[in-house]
Amino acid sequence: MPSFRFKDHKTQQLSQSVGEVLSRNYSESEFFEFAPYDPTAGERGGYSNYSYWGSTLRSFAQNKVAMFFLILMVGILAFTVVEPMLPYAPEANTIYKGATNLAPCKEYWFGTNSIGQDLWSQIWSGVRTSLLIGLAVACVEAVLGVIMGVLWGYVRKLDFLFTEIYNIFDNVPQTLVVIIISYILRPGVSTMIFAMCLTSWLQTARLVRNQVLIIRDRDYNLASRCLGTATWRIMVKNLLPYLVSILTLRMALAIPAAIGNEVFITYIGLGVPLEIPTLGNLIKAGQTVMMESTLSYQLFFPVIILSIITISFYIVGNSFADAADPKNHVK
Amino acid sequence: METETILSVRDLDVKFTLRGQVLHAIRGISLDVHRGESLAIVGESGSGKSVFTKTFMGLLDSNGSVTAGEIRYNGQDLAGYTTDQQWRTIRGREIAMVMQDPMTSLNPLKTIGDQIEEAIVLHQGLKGAEAHAQVLKVLEEVGIDQPERRSKQYPHEFSGGMRQRVVIAIAVACRPKILICDEPTTALDVTIQAQILQLIKDLQKKYDLTTIYITHDLGVVANVADRIAVMYAGDIVEIGTCEEVFYDPKHPYTWALLSSLPQLGVKGEELYSIKGTPPNLFLEVKGDAFAPRNPHALKIDFVERPPYFEVSPTHKARTWLLDPRAPKVEPPEHIKHLREQGVNRHV
Amino acid sequence: MAKYIFKRLLRSLLTLFIIVTIVFSLLRLMPIEGYFQNFEKMSAVQVELGLKELGLDKPLPAQLLDFYSDLLHGDLGVSNKYRRNVPVTKIIAEKVPVSMAIGLTSLGIALAVGLPMGILMARSTRTKHKIGDKLGTAFIVLIQAVPAAVYYLVIQFYGTKYLDLPMQISSGRPVTYILPILSLALGNIAYYAMWLRRYMVDESNKDYVKLARAKGVPASAISRKHVFRNAFVPLVQFIPTSVILTLMGSLYVESLYSIPGMGGLLVNVIQRQDNTVVQGLVLFYAAISILGLLVGDILMAIVDPRITFGKKEGGR
Repeated sequence: MPSFRFKDHKTQQLSQSVGEVLSRNYSESEFFEFAPYDPTAGERGGYSNYSYWGSTLRSFAQNKVAMFFLILMVGILAFTVVEPMLPYAPEANTIYKGATNLAPCKEYWFGTNSIGQDLWSQIWSGVRTSLLIGLAVACVEAVLGVIMGVLWGYVRKLDFLFTEIYNIFDNVPQTLVVIIISYILRPGVSTMIFAMCLTSWLQTARLVRNQVLIIRDRDYNLASRCLGTATWRIMVKNLLPYLVSILTLRMALAIPAAIGNEVFITYIGLGVPLEIPTLGNLIKAGQTVMMESTLSYQLFFPVIILSIITISFYIVGNSFADAADPKNHVK
Repeated sequence: METETILSVRDLDVKFTLRGQVLHAIRGISLDVHRGESLAIVGESGSGKSVFTKTFMGLLDSNGSVTAGEIRYNGQDLAGYTTDQQWRTIRGREIAMVMQDPMTSLNPLKTIGDQIEEAIVLHQGLKGAEAHAQVLKVLEEVGIDQPERRSKQYPHEFSGGMRQRVVIAIAVACRPKILICDEPTTALDVTIQAQILQLIKDLQKKYDLTTIYITHDLGVVANVADRIAVMYAGDIVEIGTCEEVFYDPKHPYTWALLSSLPQLGVKGEELYSIKGTPPNLFLEVKGDAFAPRNPHALKIDFVERPPYFEVSPTHKARTWLLDPRAPKVEPPEHIKHLREQGVNRHV
Repeated sequence: MAKYIFKRLLRSLLTLFIIVTIVFSLLRLMPIEGYFQNFEKMSAVQVELGLKELGLDKPLPAQLLDFYSDLLHGDLGVSNKYRRNVPVTKIIAEKVPVSMAIGLTSLGIALAVGLPMGILMARSTRTKHKIGDKLGTAFIVLIQAVPAAVYYLVIQFYGTKYLDLPMQISSGRPVTYILPILSLALGNIAYYAMWLRRYMVDESNKDYVKLARAKGVPASAISRKHVFRNAFVPLVQFIPTSVILTLMGSLYVESLYSIPGMGGLLVNVIQRQDNTVVQGLVLFYAAISILGLLVGDILMAIVDPRITFGKKEGGR
């Protein structure tokens, strides 16, 4: 007779009926016979079929708000890529003569600006530039952060140096660094990426370094190594999950931060030249006309699109980090 | 021996809700605690021993609740208590607790003296200088030198053993009737363990306390317990006096537990360990929860939950093996000789 | 304690020295037109002479030395465009009190709103539907995810349009300060509420809180005496962040509302390319950030007995 391990309501009902059949068909004496002993049966009831990634994905998928924003985020990303390839998609900077400051209408979905450019295509072009900046910053941060973090953690001689560098630069607000660099160099997309990457990788590097130290020194990893676990396996099993979760979080947050910095720097007058539409440039242009109520849409369309993007990245990043935390994996 | 019941639990059920699933942590436990005795509840991690005793004080996590049964104390049913106000008549005042890890169970930002005084003010009705004097007295009682100086120090200035003494001081300062010691020595060095156990024993005598030990360490049990309750998967599977459970165990789980005493290991042979894992309490357990891991399981073990069979007036076990219709099964050879092997009160 | 503070102070001075050196060296790369009032009309020779006069033709170490000796005399150079030949220190000194007043008020409001909000949210996590917690979290997400530069604009837009508040401050009318101070406070409100909530939830699951419950301490006293105090201590570390958030926010807010403070000034001199004032302000900002960190650490050492005791258990 098999041991009953009930998986769900159905099997439970089934087992109940099996019980009834048993009691009807078997005499009492048979009940008191030894059941065949299966040493593996005892393992089945346990909690051991745990998979880290499975649980992470499941717990993320259960978060409905996060799923909503994930879909929104993927949709926007896909659309920004696809948009210029759509038929009749106009060049963003095309000026339509006589079509200045038109309110949203059938032809110009988001209206036109003061020199007669179509706001719809301007905004998507701006989103592309801003996301490009954000993604570039996030990637550099991730790559540099991981390499430096591993060096920082593994090479004991470098520890002091890195720690001092970190302690010093952690004092300086990133915005200030971006201002200085943008002031010194010629404004442009690459300047902006460079300025934002200059110090932000330190944060990621420190998180990675701390994790490397844990891998190196924590008792459970020591124990694991004593049992003969290969270093690569410890890395894959213990370092990787953590790395993936901090990297996705840092990257997801780097994008809203980069977009915000871009808007800010543009406002101060150190941003990307006006010919290149960015969210910062569009918002700045919208700001100059926002007090005329018929034109305030020129501020609000870019603001709304920007907010949707930053909010989705922020929520998706944070929810994934939560989902990746094993503490939230209780079955 | 004349026994008076101080706390009586009947058919207690505790359930937790985790992410929409229900975990049946305590599955219908009944237990009488006698006044002045020292009872040990043993079992592996996750068997529900901590959860069980937490219900006496209303200390379950917020996602858990008593769903059936009663806990009788002083003519009251504690299982029906819901408010903080009701529980405050019990917590500390009637039942106090010493927790496992002294490194975390003290507030790091308050002095030791303040934390003991909090209990004294609450339960002994003393204030100001009187309360402070009492703090020093309690500190001395639990064996802390220079109480005046020490009372002004913060937890991080104490060693683990010393902190556990402070935690005990807090518990005793409440003047409780029952003291629950939840793995009181697990986090401590072996050399300190005996001192702490001795301290609890001394205080038990001095203040006429009833003590309930929760532990997975049979060595501790042998040292301190009058009676032993063996828990498995949210249920007490065997209960009896220390002698009975150690020298005449009836439940296969108790056999397995005793077999895993390292002292019973034979040189050159692998140490015994219980195969398998405890059942998943998110799923309904049918029959005897231990059956899948039990080499002596009967067919009925998979179908019907065994009732308690009485071995002696003080000793009962929940296993079909005690049914007259069941085949005779002898406990494993090695644990029959526990007495000769010296696994007695001096483990 | 005194020893700890002294050591910490020395560290900050060293950090300041290194940062000032780096920033100064970097700023030598500033566009040279920023040193002159009418660069366009100057000939190459004139520019060279002008640079020589400013000591900018010397090698970098020599320039640094000059700069430090000037700095020790409290001299940060003179403005050449914003207000010609007025010492930078004088310009900054005029602006500091304005920014300080607005910054501190907004920080005070942020604490007064953010802390109770955090407490309420933490309390709400124990109720059935957690409505308060969800609302609070939505607010925090909104404030943290949407760039400040964007919501400042939205606040200005709605504040002036629907609340009929003026776009620019005027010193006699306190009403005009509402929008800028609110804008500056929002970031810190979200920050304090978020962390206080998180720490309070963390702390209330700790063993010492369970022990306090087990000894019969009333729930209200537990959350006041045990949980809140322990959750508040790490928040002291956020003071530097608050300072930085406020400073960076004020860059934008001050120029949006034409507040005559340092933030507006920096935007102004950047747009006009007045190198000496930019340099002076950037260094000043860096110095304040370092000071904020120092103050945070010292307060931390005062409120947490573990920090000065030893390394092993100190801090988090």
